[in-house]
Amino acid sequence: MKLNRRTFMGTAAAASVSAPSVYAGGHGKPRVVVVGGGAGGATAARYIAKDSKGAIDVTLVEPTRTYYTCFFSNLYLGGFKEIDDIGHSYGKLAALGVNVVHDWAIGVDRSDKTVSLAGGATLSYDKLILSPGIDFVDGAVEGWDLSTQNAMPHAYKAGSQTELLKAQIAAMPQGGVFAMVAPPNPYRCPPGPYERISMVAHYLKNNNPTAKIIVADPKPKFSKMALFQEGWATHYSGMVDWIGSEFGGGNVSVDPGAMTVSIDGEDIKVDACNVIPAMKAGRIADLAGVTDGNWAPVNAADMSTKADGDVYVLGDASQQGDMPKSGFSANSQAKVCANAVRGALTGSKVFPAKFSNTCWSLISTNNGVKVGATYEATAEKIAKVDGFISATGESAELRQATYEESEGWYAGITSDMFG
Amino acid sequence: MRFIYFAFLVFITDAAISGTESDTTDVADFEVSKEILAIIGDPEYGEYLAGDCTGCHQADGSYDGIPSITGWDIESFVWAMQSYKQKVREHPVMQMMAGRLSDEEIAALAAYFETLE
Repeated sequence: MKLNRRTFMGTAAAASVSAPSVYAGGHGKPRVVVVGGGAGGATAARYIAKDSKGAIDVTLVEPTRTYYTCFFSNLYLGGFKEIDDIGHSYGKLAALGVNVVHDWAIGVDRSDKTVSLAGGATLSYDKLILSPGIDFVDGAVEGWDLSTQNAMPHAYKAGSQTELLKAQIAAMPQGGVFAMVAPPNPYRCPPGPYERISMVAHYLKNNNPTAKIIVADPKPKFSKMALFQEGWATHYSGMVDWIGSEFGGGNVSVDPGAMTVSIDGEDIKVDACNVIPAMKAGRIADLAGVTDGNWAPVNAADMSTKADGDVYVLGDASQQGDMPKSGFSANSQAKVCANAVRGALTGSKVFPAKFSNTCWSLISTNNGVKVGATYEATAEKIAKVDGFISATGESAELRQATYEESEGWYAGITSDMFG
Repeated sequence: MRFIYFAFLVFITDAAISGTESDTTDVADFEVSKEILAIIGDPEYGEYLAGDCTGCHQADGSYDGIPSITGWDIESFVWAMQSYKQKVREHPVMQMMAGRLSDEEIAALAAYFETLE
């Protein structure tokens, strides 16, 4: 088996942003390799395999055998879900004909059109779809790096980190302090940190009612801010202290050994601390040479990268325009991409790109809110067309209906991703 | 008769799902023009557009909090989507999603979803 770990040395030679032409290779069926089995990658693999009906070889590279969705992981922290409720396997994708490889992609050679895996294998592709999610920017929070993630978990890739954070919250002494260091824009799931605060507050209210929550935030405002602040005042009165950038929330360092957080010069002893650092595209996008800064710029019509027309980037890792980084967005982008990739490889009809997103958040029991929008592809970016957001002061009935709708969405998107 | 029954279902669904105050008289009286109902949808385009639906509505017709939209007859599907598009029927997500679809695209979706069991 060929092992090719050459580092890609430039972008100009391989740059191609021409309109897709029908594949005319001489090595049997066209091959698509998808890296990353989350909302973008699993959906893209499933749709290409399903709709091409065996005409395209689809390989999905994903290290984990059970994928825990980041969306709804906050509900696990709040006690509304078990960890198994948000875990999914790839068995149905395999049954559909997707070649599921549980390994790490560690390199991309765009001139040879190959992906190298940590296990030693090399995969050839005609079209490569990268959906690696996020990694963290080195040095983003003074005192924190990945070696300290067990003392101060990020819990922003769901699974063991989420379980660890929950255990640390449960172990807080009565009247203890939970701190969150919130991320700067742009980051995965804009309402996510604030839904998490709501869910931690819900847990503490029931189990540790004199505990306090401190949020150090480098931003002056955040997604669904009025809705969350209304909910915190109503349900968790006196518990949540949100410190925005105007009050020094961005001037933060942590000491994971001493379990202290310094906010604008004031040292605070904490009992549990969730550090969510600044984010960037998952590393394989960088290794493939398709990033510009922290993210991978893409063409809105099909999610192909600006750097290479045969390499696509979906979801959080992409820099596409107006869509928030969310599982819903990645799922939506994946279906546009799958249609375009299939068209390029088999000549099937390619339809115009349409995108949409909705993000639901749970504030307290049966108290759900949502924000959403539709988007279209322009020459410059994915551009917002129309949108809506829940209102403050809504009835309990409407909030409950919104929460129940979010449960329906979770069932819908996970069956759309994993079959 | 089917429309009357369907309008009743719509009322129940709206109350259960969106929790908003639908004006049931308006919904019950809502009619789709013959010209719109006469549009023959392209099921292949509908299958592509359905990607915007199946992120929430399950393609196998399961219900877990969001209604099933599979196996509807074309007229009922078009009627429901037009009632959102024309903002007669309440629901912020559905008004947004239907609002950007052309009459031809709604017909295409109806043609596709009718084929799903």
